[in-house]
Amino acid sequence: MYFSQKEPPRREERLGACIALRDTVCGFAKKKGCRFDDGEREFRQGSICLMLPALAILNTIPDSVVLIHGANGCGSCIHSQNANARSGSAQRTGKAKDALWLSTALNETDVISGGEEKLTAAIAEADRRYRPKTIFVVSTCVPGIIGDDIDGVAAQLQEKVTARIVPIHCQGFKTKIWATAYDAVYHGIVRQLFEGRDESKASALPGVDESRREVEAERRKKTVNLMNVSSMGRVDEIELERLLRALGLEVNIFPVFSEPDSMVKMTQAALSISTCPTHDDYILKHLNETYGVPYQIEHMPIGIENTNRWLRNIAAFFHLEDAAERIIEQEERELRQALAELTPFFAGKTVFLSAGEFRALATANLLAELGFAVRGIRSFHHDEFAEGEYAKLARQAKDDFIINIANVQPFEEANLLKRLQPDLFLGHANGNMTASKLGIPAHVIYNTGLSYVGYRGAYELARRLRRLLRNPAFHANLARHVRLPYRDQWYAADPFRYIRTQGGHGHE
Amino acid sequence: MSKIAFVERPRYTCASGGAVATVTAIPGAIPILHSAQGCAGNFAWTQNGGAGLQVGGYCGSLTVPSSNVQERDVVFGGVDRLRQQIANTVEVMDGELYVVLTSCVTEVIGDDAAPVVEEFREQGTPIAFAETAGFKGNAYTGYDLVLQSLFRQVVERGVSKQKGKVNLWGIPPYQDVFWRGNIEELRRLLESLGLTVNSFFTDRDSVAAIRQAASAELNIVVSDVYGVQAAALFEERHGVPFLKTALPVGPGATDDFLLRVGERLALDRGVVDQVIRAERRHYYRTLEPLTDCYNDMDLQRYAVVVGDGNYAPALARFLADDLGWLPELVVVTDRFNEQEQGDVASRLQGFASGLAPHLVFESDGRQIISHFNRLWPPNQNQKYYNAFSPAFVLGSSLERELAATLAAGHLSVSFPVANRAVLDRGYTGYRGGLRLTEDLLSAIVAGR
Repeated sequence: MYFSQKEPPRREERLGACIALRDTVCGFAKKKGCRFDDGEREFRQGSICLMLPALAILNTIPDSVVLIHGANGCGSCIHSQNANARSGSAQRTGKAKDALWLSTALNETDVISGGEEKLTAAIAEADRRYRPKTIFVVSTCVPGIIGDDIDGVAAQLQEKVTARIVPIHCQGFKTKIWATAYDAVYHGIVRQLFEGRDESKASALPGVDESRREVEAERRKKTVNLMNVSSMGRVDEIELERLLRALGLEVNIFPVFSEPDSMVKMTQAALSISTCPTHDDYILKHLNETYGVPYQIEHMPIGIENTNRWLRNIAAFFHLEDAAERIIEQEERELRQALAELTPFFAGKTVFLSAGEFRALATANLLAELGFAVRGIRSFHHDEFAEGEYAKLARQAKDDFIINIANVQPFEEANLLKRLQPDLFLGHANGNMTASKLGIPAHVIYNTGLSYVGYRGAYELARRLRRLLRNPAFHANLARHVRLPYRDQWYAADPFRYIRTQGGHGHE
Repeated sequence: MSKIAFVERPRYTCASGGAVATVTAIPGAIPILHSAQGCAGNFAWTQNGGAGLQVGGYCGSLTVPSSNVQERDVVFGGVDRLRQQIANTVEVMDGELYVVLTSCVTEVIGDDAAPVVEEFREQGTPIAFAETAGFKGNAYTGYDLVLQSLFRQVVERGVSKQKGKVNLWGIPPYQDVFWRGNIEELRRLLESLGLTVNSFFTDRDSVAAIRQAASAELNIVVSDVYGVQAAALFEERHGVPFLKTALPVGPGATDDFLLRVGERLALDRGVVDQVIRAERRHYYRTLEPLTDCYNDMDLQRYAVVVGDGNYAPALARFLADDLGWLPELVVVTDRFNEQEQGDVASRLQGFASGLAPHLVFESDGRQIISHFNRLWPPNQNQKYYNAFSPAFVLGSSLERELAATLAAGHLSVSFPVANRAVLDRGYTGYRGGLRLTEDLLSAIVAGR
């Protein structure tokens, strides 16, 4: 129903997602199913908007141009995302390729007179100059306010250009929940790259004979859509492919680094599997409703037990339970043997995590399995998909610990970390500096060059944490010589004093 | 400015981002963004990818206070949200100066930051503001706009002039990835002439010194474009004239720089000459042991230079006149107006080496190869072909594909610099010439 609209709905409405809460893990575990009273902060620090994660996916699509319709700075974040585009293409094709992005660079005149004319010229010229298969037209805040109709421009031009034009709506001021980015990207892909394609052309080569077609149909019964995320590198995909192939399944990976021409294959698989439930419900429901592709959206395969559960779910769908148990038994045995030399160093050490909700919770589970005691978690937003995750953590925690829903907001983090003094911090990219400057050894919670996922990820993360804890001098030295920009009084104040909920001050 | 349909991979962020970077670089300053929630993150990611691994500082990256206006504020106005944000920022963040920076969204909806900032100033809060909407220009514009705000709102009026005191700017923090080292070397050289220097952004600078900036005898702007509007404003408001120079990279350009400063301030010519002599002696004594390998390994190169309005002419001149290379094509990636283009072009004239590199203004890096092919005819299957080889591309990290196409060595200097870690390395002055020589030759011999 959503896909007939130009834009996807905000996650605030669709899922009741929120960004400003405080509670504990046991409190969260009990709250199942009810919508939270989201708060607002009266002091805020900058964070990101949905445009950044959207661009992180779009930049990886081969043979595409990302045309950002906005002022000349929107999308300059791609300078860092380009590193991922380069390494990702090198890992997948053997050649490091820069992303290609453009800006319509709206100026003051355009703001007054509208940017549609400029956008029209830009699309035509991008098509002529670079001959891409796809032009993603990403609209930003300014066109959203002045009322440029990017869908109208795209529809008018589509006949005249070779590339497929895919409008993507990323007005940052419209939603607090940047996970709306995934919906925005999927919305554009579904409307422009799935629909209106001739199935037979997409699925079979011209002149293909009957026997080939049967083979193809057979293959599809064993083919799964593996939903990847831009925060997961090729190394993690390889781990998941390895496990799925061990079950005898074939794998379509989507959407990061997937070919625009073959995206339609998504509509023909036996099952879609999410690796990060925060990411994928919007498109998985659509694939199910429209194309009859069932889906699984539970568990992130980070952590030993999480990986087991993830794999068991998939195996159950294909009636491969016995095979799954054999794989799990062997994987666990090998992994636990390998971990034995590392885990003694983690016993009793405390950890604080901060990242996107699923990533933070699943990684917390893994760290608990490695012997760490979780002291606190900050999730960047909260929605219904993670409810089961809090219950998992509450079950294994010896002591209740703090849960804070925050769209980064390092000032709260600084206050909490000063109080809790954890031995280790794991945070989102660009979110580890606060811990470091307080002298807490920090490790990035995702990095596309590093392994995190599956059994291999558990081992590799443990290995890296052992390395970090063997010599945290970088962080200790920083703490001795630099200070964070907060007043001394701030550390004595209630870390959540700036959160206001509709029910008044604080969140009981 | 030529009418083009888009900017290909803009080598900068917007005015707002340049402004945040500039304020972050002032010791003890706290930027307050009046913007949607994503701007700060966009700028942090930009620096992460383009600024030689440097992100923020005392209060940068995702630590930057921001009003994070939402749809509701867009409909009803964001001024109340801004007032609340400023009050709470002063409560939480420890700063010597707070600078409110506006953005696309808050300017389109017509929020007026001035009266709100004035309320706080009247209460004694050290606060300024700049209107830095992204659609007003790029990061260089943002740098200029912040300087203008400082000169209007922070620099005290009516202070008495102090002989031998100068302000130095024209090097935008983070947008010039080598900003810290570049400023420090020029500061060192000016001090060696006996001058007192306010350079805004090094750890020897301070908000207190910025307040007293109008006591300077001269403002020195080492750029034809960046910070020039601010210089005109300074002169008009505080009566301090300015000297505009090229970004001095290497001994040739730095001799000129020191001589011009000396002239403008009527310094004793003997003192200036003595400094130049001492610096040159140091430079060439340091370079001397390289002579054998430079010769034996045939380290002279043809070059393509790609960069912004500061770097492209400065690097070309260093290659031609100091290092003795052959910069054939110089590409300036900024979108300049005719006057600015003329100023930058004049920097490529009168090289001591007699070389006159071909100059183009081109914002689309993917088109550089076509410019090159027009300039240097390709091999038509000739047996004897005067090739553009051995070659070197000195540009940004976006020129790696161009370098590969030309089978050339490559070094990233102009933004973005994705593939180097930069702390206080700089290329200005005499010491910078040595650094640049090291880095160019290191890139060539990396596989040795």
